[in-house]
Amino acid sequence: MSFDVLFNQFMSGIARGALLFLVASGLSLTFGVLRVLNFAHGSLYMLGAFLSYSVWTFLLIPTFGFYIAAVLVALIMGVVGLIIEFGLLRRLYARGWPEQLLATYAIILIITDLVKWAWGGAFLSIPRPEPFTGAVMLFDFPFPSYNFFIILLGAGLVIFLWWLVYRTRLGDIIRAAAHDREMVSALGIPIPWLFTSVFVLGAAIAGLSGAVTAPFGSVALGMDIEIIIECFAVVVIGGMGSLPGTLLGSFIVGQVYAFGIMFLPNLALAFIFLVMAVVLIIRPWGIFGTPER
Amino acid sequence: MKSKGLRVAALTLTVLVMGFLGIVGHALAQETIKFGAIYDFAGGCHMYSESAITGIQMAVDEINAAGGILGKKLEYVKRDTEAKTDVAVREVKDLILREKVNFLLGPCSSGTGLAMQVVHSENKVIRIAGLANTEGQTVDKFTPYIFQIVPNTYMEATANTRYLHKKFPKAKKFCTIGPDYEFGRREETAFVDEIKKLVPDAEIVYEAWPKLGEKDFTSFITAIMAKKPDAVHGSLFGGDLVSFTKQALPYGFFQKIPFIALYDLPVLVALGNDAPEGTLGFGRGCFFMDPNPKMMAFVEKYKKANKGAYPDSWAVMAYESLYLYKAAAEKAKTIETEAVIKAMEGTTIDMLRGAYTIRPLDHMGTVPCYQGTIAKVPEYPFKIWKDLTRVPGDQVIRPEASVREIWKKTGVQR
Amino acid sequence: MEANRKQENEGWAKRKWWIIVLILLSLAAPAFLSEFYLTVLCEALVMAMLALSFNLLFGYMGQMSFGQAAFYGLGGYAVAMLMVKWQFNFWLSIVAGVGLAAFAGLIVGYFCVRLRGIYFAVLTLAFGQLIWTIVFKWHDVTGGDDGIQGVFPPDFLKSPIAYYYLILVVFLASSWVIWKIIHSPFGHTIKAMRENSERTEFLGINIARYQLITFVIAAALAGLAGAVWVPFYRSVAPSYLTWIKSGEPVMAAILGGPSVFLGPVLGTFVMTFFHAWVLGFTVYWPVVMGALILFIIFFLPGGILGFAIDTFKERKERENT
Repeated sequence: MSFDVLFNQFMSGIARGALLFLVASGLSLTFGVLRVLNFAHGSLYMLGAFLSYSVWTFLLIPTFGFYIAAVLVALIMGVVGLIIEFGLLRRLYARGWPEQLLATYAIILIITDLVKWAWGGAFLSIPRPEPFTGAVMLFDFPFPSYNFFIILLGAGLVIFLWWLVYRTRLGDIIRAAAHDREMVSALGIPIPWLFTSVFVLGAAIAGLSGAVTAPFGSVALGMDIEIIIECFAVVVIGGMGSLPGTLLGSFIVGQVYAFGIMFLPNLALAFIFLVMAVVLIIRPWGIFGTPER
Repeated sequence: MKSKGLRVAALTLTVLVMGFLGIVGHALAQETIKFGAIYDFAGGCHMYSESAITGIQMAVDEINAAGGILGKKLEYVKRDTEAKTDVAVREVKDLILREKVNFLLGPCSSGTGLAMQVVHSENKVIRIAGLANTEGQTVDKFTPYIFQIVPNTYMEATANTRYLHKKFPKAKKFCTIGPDYEFGRREETAFVDEIKKLVPDAEIVYEAWPKLGEKDFTSFITAIMAKKPDAVHGSLFGGDLVSFTKQALPYGFFQKIPFIALYDLPVLVALGNDAPEGTLGFGRGCFFMDPNPKMMAFVEKYKKANKGAYPDSWAVMAYESLYLYKAAAEKAKTIETEAVIKAMEGTTIDMLRGAYTIRPLDHMGTVPCYQGTIAKVPEYPFKIWKDLTRVPGDQVIRPEASVREIWKKTGVQR
Repeated sequence: MEANRKQENEGWAKRKWWIIVLILLSLAAPAFLSEFYLTVLCEALVMAMLALSFNLLFGYMGQMSFGQAAFYGLGGYAVAMLMVKWQFNFWLSIVAGVGLAAFAGLIVGYFCVRLRGIYFAVLTLAFGQLIWTIVFKWHDVTGGDDGIQGVFPPDFLKSPIAYYYLILVVFLASSWVIWKIIHSPFGHTIKAMRENSERTEFLGINIARYQLITFVIAAALAGLAGAVWVPFYRSVAPSYLTWIKSGEPVMAAILGGPSVFLGPVLGTFVMTFFHAWVLGFTVYWPVVMGALILFIIFFLPGGILGFAIDTFKERKERENT
């Protein structure tokens, strides 16, 4: 096992972790503020991926077409998130978490059939956009530049979210609401508006990560179920509702997968669930999470 | 008083109407041959299932326009298993008990196929398998009520291994990459068996087993490339193969390493320009794999009926399965199941994929296996194959002795 | 106390006459149901057992388990492996299936009962997926993703009518046992824990132990459902154990009403027959199910029976005032 091979495997793990962070951050944010574990988050990601294919084939602008499509998809998915939160979830905050969970489960079912009906179940693919089509050399081993793009995007999202949560008024409110919702409401801040904003942001990020995944691999039915399980693993390990936790969780899951594949190919999948179970047993609220009241 | 009279009248009317419908329904039933098209309209199988339905529809329209089978028109009932075995069994029971179908076509997934095989065999209804291709259907878990016209994993892997070896005779170090479930496992096992026969000192230096539906193959790609194999044998297909190809391209994977996988029509269409030229593909019979006159005529008809789409292997095989049934029923001069089974054994049909015969031993058709090299051509907006090879099924079908050996282990009496 | 209970027993037959009618109808079902609908009824009864197992934890213990399908699948796999590979006796295999499921419930439950709310739910999901992964990957033992086929019941039970009676008897017997457990002192303690866990703890009750016992019972019931089901459909596959499958009893219980004992049963019946009917003419079942769930959540809170009973009580109160 030479160094460059190991380093390359490490970098693939980083890329995978970055992709996971892109998706899971929205889930974590939503849980942290709304206290709703949105089962349908993976469906929003999948819908974003399919939409990005359609928008891109519609625009057909060389080079910039993909980036424009990605931004458009994020906006569209934000609107979808608005519809879901405003039309559905908002009416359930007064009810218990079981009903909220079930409503998000219902959304999975509805979006799955929507995607099946609209795009027909074929698997789709977008070519990688310029300039990320080739590879860069890392210690004599090629590393696809699109993977770098994903890592950069992940880093960008980390910075954006850090700025949002720690440097803006909205962020102050988000952190306060994550700690003590009643206090925030008592201070005169309209909680419903806060919830809507956070959910829309989460949905937009999910859509964006779906769009970014399309050139990475293929877009197909079943993406939603597959990603939501990994997202659960990430937020459980890192701490539900904690963004630093989600970052750490994504990193861990990415590396476990990358090196698991190399050394224990049969068990890589089971390993993720095992780590998830172990974390829940030893420290249920995750590495960076805080215990529920 | 009045209400009682009304009730009696209503009851009598209902009985009369039901009786009438029963007679008419029964009479109508005698006029058609009904079959069940039961496929998995979920996940990765959705697309192939839809494709099979298009092939079925074409065959049904054609056969009915030519007078049907034994003077009766064909009709079918479409059902979805949701790729779940319990739903599959229930839907098969519905087709048999309520819809009273004469035979079945489908499904896509080997898991649902095997589950339904127990049930339709117990109920003495035959099924023609043109999609799900596990050997389990005709070998391990054989029942007389199954017929298969899609090359099984043994045939397909044996044929494509020989092609790989013919193209790269000096290759000794191999890697494999297959989806981690029965299909992948069987194909790669058959590959290993065959390559060891062709190259006695062949070495499998790494086996990659991504899960079905894997979206990120990067770690597998780097692991394979680290081993510097002479060639790689793959049984990835569909969306997984598209993802793998796109992710492997920047690594220069296809320039450095000879590779063979299921690069058939839907994958090549999805990949577009990303399809790696010079890489090898194997498949079961889409139009460019066997461009004979009958196939090309079929392509024209198919395009007209399907908004310009080209027929893939699954549409072709579903289409042929109905003609197989027609041939057997006409030979037996009845649609009674046991007679059709006897007639189908040994039947030869010669359609889009050329001539092949149903082997009486295990009801496996000596269907061809195709291989080729991906190339760009001006005629089509997607890449296809050149340097085509068509391996007739009887060259790669599992020998009878081997089949019987497995039957001894699994308890099949024949 | 004694007098009240006596009164209860005497009034029982009068008040619950509809139970007797239902039982009589179900005994007579094969006479007026076609074989297909009898099959659907069998499915509804078995899935109702699974839903009851879920609701034991949800409605009575207050915890949502997303892993009941794993125990259901383990029960089924035990029966399949024993009968197909070692020609084990049918009845003993079912007992073994229940035993395996209960044992798995003991291990999984040990860890789960230390958690509450969403954490409990996610841990059951993780364990369920872990069990699924083991079954899926260990193809030498479990047949991998192909599953195991050829599980046949003894000859006298091969006909669907005979097997239906078996399922019916198992369903009635197990429901009665669960009913008795819920209305026993043990059951009252469980319900008290759901209402106020701190107070019950102060009373000296070991919460974890009570919850674990309940968890094992629920797992055993799920295992029984799976064990009895597999010979009917002649096969078992890993798809029986996924968290998606676990979602079915969750939906059924919420649909029918988790606060009522028979709620999950009604919910299952509605879902199963509806599913069978809808699949007859479209492949778009998920969107129908999703819409149904949302409809229940918004317009029939508490599920069909829960809503019905609440409305009935409200109306009675209004009449009395």
